[in-house]
Amino acid sequence: MAQRQSVFRDETKLDINYVPGRLPHREHHLRLLKEFFSFALEAPEKMAQRVLITGDVGTGKTALSQRFGLEIAHESSIRGIKLRYVHVNCREYRGSLFFILQHVVSVFHPNFPKRGYSAEELLHTLVQVLDDEKTHTILSLDEFDSLIEKEGPEAVYKLTRLQEMRQNKPQRLSLICILRGPEMLGKLDVSTRSTLQSNIINLQKYSRKELTDILNDRVSLAFKPLTVPEGSVRLVSELAYSEGGNARFGIELLWRAGKYADAEGLNTVIPDCVRKAASSIVPAVKKSELTTFSLHEKLFLLSIARLFKENQKATVSLAEAERAYAIACEEFDVSPNSHTQLWKYLKDFSNLGIVETEVSGTGSRGRSTDISLPRTPVEELEKTLRTLLDEESDKT
Amino acid sequence: MNVEDVFSSKLRMKILRTLFDVGELNASELARRLKINYVSASKHIKILEDEGILQHKVFGRIRLYRYNEQSAKAKAVQNLIEVWERYDKK
Repeated sequence: MAQRQSVFRDETKLDINYVPGRLPHREHHLRLLKEFFSFALEAPEKMAQRVLITGDVGTGKTALSQRFGLEIAHESSIRGIKLRYVHVNCREYRGSLFFILQHVVSVFHPNFPKRGYSAEELLHTLVQVLDDEKTHTILSLDEFDSLIEKEGPEAVYKLTRLQEMRQNKPQRLSLICILRGPEMLGKLDVSTRSTLQSNIINLQKYSRKELTDILNDRVSLAFKPLTVPEGSVRLVSELAYSEGGNARFGIELLWRAGKYADAEGLNTVIPDCVRKAASSIVPAVKKSELTTFSLHEKLFLLSIARLFKENQKATVSLAEAERAYAIACEEFDVSPNSHTQLWKYLKDFSNLGIVETEVSGTGSRGRSTDISLPRTPVEELEKTLRTLLDEESDKT
Repeated sequence: MNVEDVFSSKLRMKILRTLFDVGELNASELARRLKINYVSASKHIKILEDEGILQHKVFGRIRLYRYNEQSAKAKAVQNLIEVWERYDKK
């Protein structure tokens, strides 16, 4: 069989988890972040820092923090300083402080027991572990919103004030909190808010020109030379700009366009590949977002997508969605979650802009919640969820 | 304890081998992995600790056991397991 030609040189450079060596148009922010943490390379035990990174989806918050993490870890190892950077996506841990802390502890002790203590105990255990390792840790809490949402002000207060509760002892834990907008901080008490808001790095949406620079950078890393014409990059950047200056969307689109070129046996990623990729991508929900959902969130969303696909209706009720979800649970051989839990999932979907909900009261007895999917192509959503669920059941 | 007494127990050897493989564990997890009860696991861990082969670190209510890095006996045991496994694989 003839070897298949590909436009890609290294497609992993377009992966969501790839941290680029250079962050175009975020150099200044990276310098600022390093400045905030310069003490960690001089006198890591003497102080701790808290920094807030805010910005919309795809403005480079995660990449900025991870790039910083890699660089400071490298620099500290050269200088022989014990420093760790730990990046945690709070949403992946359902916003639970307990699971987040457990993950951090497991970085140092992979076989640390998973049960038998409370979140509060775990917080003190973490400090003990860091003392034992004599290591200063910079904990980056990505999607910090979900931690605030789940745990409320008390837990966040304890986390941010951990160092102050142990005066005259080595400072072990610094925080980087990453969230979309500072509005969520309104849910915290005044003192926690003021602690967090002292150092803010706000990332503005990328302009068309900035997006083009970022995409060109990735093209040179991920694609073979001369396989992506300027016009295609411009088109991707235009589409990413219309998605709110979302670089992540642009990079995902670039990857998908490359896949279309490969599938059609083309030597170059022509603009039409970009158009096809753009029409097939789920606009309101990126695959990267769906992967962070739990099994039941995926099942519930799949049920909603199926209902819309079957009925061609503008809205479906929560009761209908629940019935469809019960069938999906049977299909995947899992017990369905309660009504309250589903209602919470629906609220999360709505916050993420995947669905819209409205409480209808008139014309029927009681109140019911109507669900609509205004911006999401149902078939694509169903297909993506189905693939993810199949992958998940293959793993188990 | 004499060397023959320390190594005469299959369970103690299993504990040493498990810790050689995974680095550190608490007593409950060791007991679970070896399918023995907690009391039995604790008893054998204590013997190995008294011999200086194992040591523990306490984090809150959690006690994690591992090889004693300072102990020549612990190094000798780890060497033995490593050589044994290497030749077993050949």
